[in-house]
Amino acid sequence: MSETVTPQPSSTELPPAGQETLFERVRSAWQAWVQRIFGEREDQLFLFLAVLIGVFGGLAVVCFRVAIDWVQFMLLGSSLYPSFPRVVIVPAVAGLGIAALVIWVFPRSRGSGVNQTKAAVYVSNGYIPFDTVIGKFIVCALAIGSGQSLGPEDPSLQMGAGIASKIGRYLKLSQSKIRLIAPVGAAAGLAAAFNAPLASTLFVIEEVIGTWSAGVLGAIVLAAVSSAITMRYFMGAESLFRVPSVQPAHPVEFLGYAALGVVGGIVSLFFTKWIAWARPRIQALPLWTHYLLPAAAGLIVGTIGIWFPQVLGAGYSIIDQALHGEFAWRLLLVLAAMKLVATGVSFLSGTPGGMFAPTLFIGAMLGGGIGAIEHHFFPSITTSVGMFALVGMGTLFGGFLRVPITSVFMVIELSGSYTAALPVMVSSLIAYLISRQYQEVALFDMLTRQEGLILPSIEERREQEAFLVEDAMRPEGAFVVRPNEPVTDLAIKAEAQKDIPVLLRVRMGEWRLLDSEDLQRLANDGATPHTASEVKSKGPLPLLFPDESIEEAMRWLGDWPVIPVVSRADLGQLEGVLTFPDVLKAVRKAKAE
Amino acid sequence: MYVRERVLIACAVLLIALFGFTAFIARQYHRTIHRFADEWFAKGESAMQAGQTRAAINDYRNALVYKPEDPTFQFHLAQALASAGQQVQSRAYLTNLLSEDPESGPINLTLARIAVSEKRNLDAVRYYHSAIYGVWDTDPLTQRWEVRSELCEYLLNQGNAQEAEPDLIALAQEVPLRDVGREKIAGTLLLRAGLWSRALSEFRAVLDTDRRDPDALAGAGRASFQLGDYAESVNYFNRLPRGVRVAPDVAQILPIAQQAQAMNALRPGLPASEQARRAAKALSVANARIAACATQRGESLPAASGAAPDQLQKLYVTAQQNKKAWTLLGLSQHPDQVTAAMSFAFQAEAAATKVCGQPQMAADKALSLIASNRTGQSSE
Repeated sequence: MSETVTPQPSSTELPPAGQETLFERVRSAWQAWVQRIFGEREDQLFLFLAVLIGVFGGLAVVCFRVAIDWVQFMLLGSSLYPSFPRVVIVPAVAGLGIAALVIWVFPRSRGSGVNQTKAAVYVSNGYIPFDTVIGKFIVCALAIGSGQSLGPEDPSLQMGAGIASKIGRYLKLSQSKIRLIAPVGAAAGLAAAFNAPLASTLFVIEEVIGTWSAGVLGAIVLAAVSSAITMRYFMGAESLFRVPSVQPAHPVEFLGYAALGVVGGIVSLFFTKWIAWARPRIQALPLWTHYLLPAAAGLIVGTIGIWFPQVLGAGYSIIDQALHGEFAWRLLLVLAAMKLVATGVSFLSGTPGGMFAPTLFIGAMLGGGIGAIEHHFFPSITTSVGMFALVGMGTLFGGFLRVPITSVFMVIELSGSYTAALPVMVSSLIAYLISRQYQEVALFDMLTRQEGLILPSIEERREQEAFLVEDAMRPEGAFVVRPNEPVTDLAIKAEAQKDIPVLLRVRMGEWRLLDSEDLQRLANDGATPHTASEVKSKGPLPLLFPDESIEEAMRWLGDWPVIPVVSRADLGQLEGVLTFPDVLKAVRKAKAE
Repeated sequence: MYVRERVLIACAVLLIALFGFTAFIARQYHRTIHRFADEWFAKGESAMQAGQTRAAINDYRNALVYKPEDPTFQFHLAQALASAGQQVQSRAYLTNLLSEDPESGPINLTLARIAVSEKRNLDAVRYYHSAIYGVWDTDPLTQRWEVRSELCEYLLNQGNAQEAEPDLIALAQEVPLRDVGREKIAGTLLLRAGLWSRALSEFRAVLDTDRRDPDALAGAGRASFQLGDYAESVNYFNRLPRGVRVAPDVAQILPIAQQAQAMNALRPGLPASEQARRAAKALSVANARIAACATQRGESLPAASGAAPDQLQKLYVTAQQNKKAWTLLGLSQHPDQVTAAMSFAFQAEAAATKVCGQPQMAADKALSLIASNRTGQSSE
């Protein structure tokens, strides 16, 4: 940074005020402002950049959405149900073009974009080449617009991250900030694509960063909000699909939502296992087959589209219809199955595109189907098929993408009401638990592991047991003495147990470590009686509480041989002491267990 | 700092340029989207008018892809879905629309019709009333009247004449002056609900405008007939064109009304001779019914000697005993016998009905009708 800073002229070098031109005065004022705002504190610059990235991300996603729709209008027409043979020919022929672009021009545009962004954060220090953004834009617009069963959200996420990374590099931010700026851009891209800033923020934290980092949270929220506002400015404030008004669920209905959770969990598990099994096998096929795979996927999707054109593309309008109870339960379940096949085939073929929208589609159909079946058998207790479809979206989101917190907030944000919160909590948690029980690694982590990368997972961190001070401290590991106690008695006690430190409680919250040698010296001085306060001591010692983490304790243990652990209710009450050997012993014990 | 300053300025310039570019393509995009929406909607309207409901539904759905929040598109799709029998789907759209515009007359009316088709009677009536008191963009008075008329028709079809009564009365009161068509509709509905006087008023109002209106004449004839005003009823029916008079509903009532008019001796204000003539005819009809019924049952009149006489035979004996007094001459000379003669005729008809079933002949029916309307003797 220092070599880039232009030295500011000192006040003595400035020409007299009267001799400055207006331009020079404006320029110097601007430079002073820039220096004050961005030069001294990078944090301020970072927050400003979050807004800037949000706007850029929003603009990029607006263009991306328009591009997808233009491609669709041109290739498939403006009808929801493209005619035969166009519905078969277009995805297949476009697949050839997609393969050529991915293999020859934009090889980094492969995949959904989520795990690639996460890998960039953890492996490449937040570096995402800008050609990835361009490649994602062009190839995904062609793929989704031509009917491949994929969504635009994950690519938008990666495009946002790519734009942010580019801006960060141009601004020569510090390495730590460049690493953090990619998730900020990711949140911007996703928030604009999904028009749901809250859910997008949580998704990025759960799935991209993989940890709750307070340092970046503010920037992510700013970016998500500014990109969503930009998107709404150009495309309107409407949600991607209209959620009908939902009624509170009858308590008995929660059995239905639990059933939806079970089915959603099983479907999520099946989908994940299928991709996990098939992806490495398809990637191992000879190179020449990769030129044909997207076309073959397009052919399969197009063939399904002859009878079920609803599965083509992202399918938001079909989700909208399901939310309005427009399909019978048989059709809903068939559409869920067909979309699952179409999405799996499209994704496995290497066609770039997202899993976000297809997951919502399958969830909505599944939820609607189960709701309709229940409505058929128990018409008096089922509120509406639309409510089940809405909960179904959250359920599959929680089960398949394994982001249960995001799924709950997504449903709340989409429906604009808390009515569906409780059902989706029940349902998505069950789906998540089933998926977690039988598939150890979540989808996006599994994809990165198949590529040889092991990235941190919030899921694993969430399930790690916290290692606390109380797990390592020794409850009776020190003598506690008062300042006026005679040293002769103390010396006898200390002599009896040499390994135990002597702690002086000076006053409430002030503890000191007595010097054993000096204690003995004063005790041997028979001429004058001495008290504990006269003994040489170290301190005041830092204090720990039993519920604090070992990481916190380790910050102090380097400087102090022993740290008192006190009660939060009474800083003068010693609960135990902590030393470095105590920590090592506890760690070894925990490992052995 | 110099680099950052430059980059930020470049970003600002790029942002402005990109903003402009995005605004341009977004405008083009929205234009196209709106064009698609309008085109699909127009196609949907054409298909709907041509009776191709399925095609219309697809077209409306396509239109909604491009204007998903448009309430008109949603409403038309909901109507098309309802027409195609997809009530659940239609209801989902309409409920959503209703949550945003709870006072909408058309939405409430469509929901009412769906509730009718799904046999949800309480909901149907609730939605109909919401539609009646709801907001209508064009010609609200007419729309509300039509909805109320539809509600009355629905309630009458359900057999809930009592529940329909307040709406029928309001319907009749809200008929615009000289609106013959609606007066006839109101009159017909009132007739179906058994509100004879109000029905008659409606039909008379029509006849004030067009005294030859066949529907009004038939309705007024039926209302008068039910009110026991047989002469008036016959009068209305007789004013009908011959072709209408032989229509089944009129042809069924007219002979009875004519016979009732000919036999109602108890009408106040009749001259003694006319009373005698009518009573004699009633007696003649009653005696014929007793004889026919006895024949139908294989009994002899009078009863065989030694056998206990039944009700018919007792009545026959009474008729024979009063044979001389209950002639036309006898009744003319002794008007006090008219009431007794008519009571006998009514008893004879009632006994024959009890033993041999409902009468088939118009004269017998008329006699039974006069008997049942005896409390309203003065109404003719």
